Amino acid sequence: MEFNSIGFLLCFLPAFFVLYGLVPKRYRNVTILLGSLFFYAMGNLWNLPILMASVLANFWLGGRLVQGSGRKGSGRKIQKNKFLLLAGIAGNVGLLAFFKVARGGAYLPLGISFYTFQMLSYLIDVYREEEKSENSFLRFAVYVCMFPRLLSGPIVRYGEVRENLRKRKFHAENLQQGLKVFTVGLAAKVLLADRIGLLWRQVQVTGFESISVPLAWMAAVAYSLKIYFDFYGYSLMAVGLGRMLGFELPENFREPYMARTVRDFYRRWHITLGRWFCRYVYIPMGGSRRGEWRTAVNLLAVWLLTALWHGFSANFLIWGMLIWVLIVAERQGKALGMDGLFRKKGFRILPHLYLITVIPVTWMCFAITDVSQLQIYLGRMFGVLEGVRVSAGDWLKALETYWYLFGIGFLACTSAVKRLFFRWKDSVGGMLVLAVLFWLCIRRMTLEGQNPFLYFSF
Amino acid sequence: MIRLKWMKKWSYLILLAATGVVYLCGGGRQIYENYLAEIGEWVSGMERGTNPSESGDHMVEERGKDGGPEETGLHDADGDPEETGEQTAEDPFQAPDTGGEETAPEGEEAGEDNGFGDGTAPVYQTVEDDYFADAVFIGDSRTVGMYEYGELEEISTFYASTGLTIYKLFDAEIVETPGQRGKITVEEALTQNQFRKIYLMVGINEMGTGTVESFIAKYQEVVDHLLELQPEAIVYVQGILKVTAERSAQGDYITNEGIEERNEQLAGLADNVRVFYLDANPLICDETGGMAPSYTFDGVHLKAKYIQIWKDYLKSHAVDL
Repeated sequence: MEFNSIGFLLCFLPAFFVLYGLVPKRYRNVTILLGSLFFYAMGNLWNLPILMASVLANFWLGGRLVQGSGRKGSGRKIQKNKFLLLAGIAGNVGLLAFFKVARGGAYLPLGISFYTFQMLSYLIDVYREEEKSENSFLRFAVYVCMFPRLLSGPIVRYGEVRENLRKRKFHAENLQQGLKVFTVGLAAKVLLADRIGLLWRQVQVTGFESISVPLAWMAAVAYSLKIYFDFYGYSLMAVGLGRMLGFELPENFREPYMARTVRDFYRRWHITLGRWFCRYVYIPMGGSRRGEWRTAVNLLAVWLLTALWHGFSANFLIWGMLIWVLIVAERQGKALGMDGLFRKKGFRILPHLYLITVIPVTWMCFAITDVSQLQIYLGRMFGVLEGVRVSAGDWLKALETYWYLFGIGFLACTSAVKRLFFRWKDSVGGMLVLAVLFWLCIRRMTLEGQNPFLYFSF
Repeated sequence: MIRLKWMKKWSYLILLAATGVVYLCGGGRQIYENYLAEIGEWVSGMERGTNPSESGDHMVEERGKDGGPEETGLHDADGDPEETGEQTAEDPFQAPDTGGEETAPEGEEAGEDNGFGDGTAPVYQTVEDDYFADAVFIGDSRTVGMYEYGELEEISTFYASTGLTIYKLFDAEIVETPGQRGKITVEEALTQNQFRKIYLMVGINEMGTGTVESFIAKYQEVVDHLLELQPEAIVYVQGILKVTAERSAQGDYITNEGIEERNEQLAGLADNVRVFYLDANPLICDETGGMAPSYTFDGVHLKAKYIQIWKDYLKSHAVDL
């Protein structure tokens, strides 16, 4: 079940929260778990056993990791812990890799990339003794399975929700503030991402050979906005739902398109994944403390793994490597003192221009899974490939249709919307706007639900 | 005072519910009405049929007959082009070239008495693009594709719109007129402008609606009316282009079997005097029986560079007037 479906919004959500409010406090975790499993099963019933087996195995493993052995513990205990951890990592990563490879990821269970990483962080934290293992299966299962973030994160460490799993506040304030955040996320997804995504789809239907150079850039920007508001919207919905239940979940995006470097961009984009790799791969490898060469190697490891996490296909590798090259180059530029130059008046705009030019190119590598098609697209973008039957004014037509979505999209990339939200969210007018947005989303979804082809109607 | 406090505490939920009530009582009524209708159909289907799959089939037909095309979500949705997010729906029409000289017939001896007679196989010729100068293309998004990438936009007239169906063909307000705001209907446009050739390509959007028979009956009606409005014109009824085998197997009402069924009937509309049937499918389909996957991204529309195949087919299947 997806958040942006009538079934979730008008059936599951109200029913669940009524139930959640009615059951006695001590049954709230059970309610979340059962609700989440139902939610998951509605998405794909056959993925449920895999999820449950994975949760059970990791809970068991976490409990077996001997506490208090520490670095001073006996050799045998340390050996045993090491073995258990390695087995845990191998098992989790192996399962994930298997599903990513099998039939090109066609059987990938819902949310497995996210819940696997979450449980890995738990195992490693327990092994490092930064975290006590959880002795309640129920709490552990809620940690992994709670429906707000089961399918697409944010990936949280156990320590971040440990408190909330034991006691949290469920009251009108949380419920409504969460619902407001949820509404904004829903609107970002349904009214912005899905709409501007149509331009990207239109270009795919036309065929990359036959688009003009300006349209190639416009569609790349449209995709950049689509993927942002899609994922940002989802993350906001997750955070909002978490708040409604009484959880405090971390934010996943911090105005990434306002960044000045690719490096900075990925500190603001999908933050919970970035910090996962930082904490469990980059830092253990030495981070940036072992000289420039070693740093580049460590970054390479991080970006290779990030690429593989997104999927085992060549285009993700190209995407990851491109970002790695850019980040390493930026580090060199910084070492040469370019930062100072770009802080001078009149030059400040340059890093922003660089970012908004380079990121859409990287997104195209991300979006186009067929490498020969990717070559065609990049060829058109940079005008090195001759077009076939290009309709000369195609980009003007697209601009006529999409200008306002681009406008809203650009605006929403800045902090403007956030500031408006915090300024007005508790006023009657602000709440009315949110409520209207909510029903506008419902309206769009019904139109599309009745006619799945409306999007692409013939 | 106490009541006010309570309202303040729950203000967002109250507002949400209130706007919801307004919405559901107003335009959004269809949400639950559709659900109720579906449940009702399902129940009545259960009562009638013992075999679930049988009753399922029955239902689809029933819906088509009872509701008619006007009642479907498809129509609802498309009747509201501003809201659909369909960029192509709005722009791809070209104002007709004011008719007049263009449509002035050159070979007057053709017309009714073209020597084919009823039922005779037509003699097709290969022609150049200028053949389409006095032609109008009427159709759905596939014809929009022909308009945008067939390199005929300067030569021919297009009354095409995404989502166009045979049922709303004449009433669709999709034709731009030069120097005027707003659009006129296809019927009005055809009253104001005369053509010698009319290329029709509709049928895929209506596959979820009605039956093959009701579709063909409506199609026949449309063709008759076209001939009436355009006494100088011949009509090319084009077989619905198939979709890829993969798209056909997706599990909704769009299947190649359904398209074949309709095309067979469409072929029967040709009298080879003023109405001709053309089917480009053999050229765009492969051994899977559907559109060649490499020709399309979405399984339904030809990519721009393959539109040429369709156009070349039309050029090599032209009736000499």
